[in-house]
Amino acid sequence: MSSIGSIGSLQNPYLSGLIPSTRTDAPASIGNLSGVSAPQTGGVGSSFGNVIDGLVSSVDAKQTEASNLTRDVLLGKNDQLHQSMIAMQEASTAFGLMLQVRNKVVDSYQELMRMPA
Amino acid sequence: MNLISGIDVTAGALNAQKTRLDIVAQNIANAQTTRGPDGLPYQRKTVSFETELLRQAGSPGNAASVQSVRVGSIQNDTTPGQRVYDPSHPDADSNGYVTMPNVNMAYEMVDMMTASRAYEANLSVVKNAKQMAMKALEIGK
Repeated sequence: MSSIGSIGSLQNPYLSGLIPSTRTDAPASIGNLSGVSAPQTGGVGSSFGNVIDGLVSSVDAKQTEASNLTRDVLLGKNDQLHQSMIAMQEASTAFGLMLQVRNKVVDSYQELMRMPA
Repeated sequence: MNLISGIDVTAGALNAQKTRLDIVAQNIANAQTTRGPDGLPYQRKTVSFETELLRQAGSPGNAASVQSVRVGSIQNDTTPGQRVYDPSHPDADSNGYVTMPNVNMAYEMVDMMTASRAYEANLSVVKNAKQMAMKALEIGK
């Protein structure tokens, strides 16, 4: 017996004797799908904020490393010009990756916000 | 773990080639040096590279292990230098001959160009690795 929509209310009491009240093609029970379980309520370490925090801090560590190397080269403590450039490229790539993750997260959020419409 | 793959291997190669270029510069700079710290004429230095195991996947000697390169040793070229007759030279011996360094300018130029081109080749590896990483980031767009 469907409770959604108008079909349920149009049930003719005379027809209810003809149509079997239990539908054989209905899914047996939606609650026990195999392989699908409720999301684990993780501890503090796996919260969304901490994931983003870890991402940002690792990108920041790469940028700090790059700026340290560049400063050492500029101050003459080090002549590894290519190491400095490579570290900067690494930092730039990590930043780009972080931006892409941010874009994906914001896209998902906006998609969820559009859900009622 | 680096974001741009294989970049630390290339960084090692860049470092090694830069050292080689430094040694070539030292050889050219000392091409006329007839008295070193030991009182002898300058001897040409040669650089030899050796592999450096960065990350090991599986057993040693496995082809999958990542091998970078580093400067193995810097050695003296012991071939005798040219003897030039110049009695007025301060470092001339009793017969008036001066032993010049065994630096051959043509060899040094060839070495310099080889080091420079090898450096460029490694730089283009860096450039391509970075481009590949950036292209991978474009998957999300």
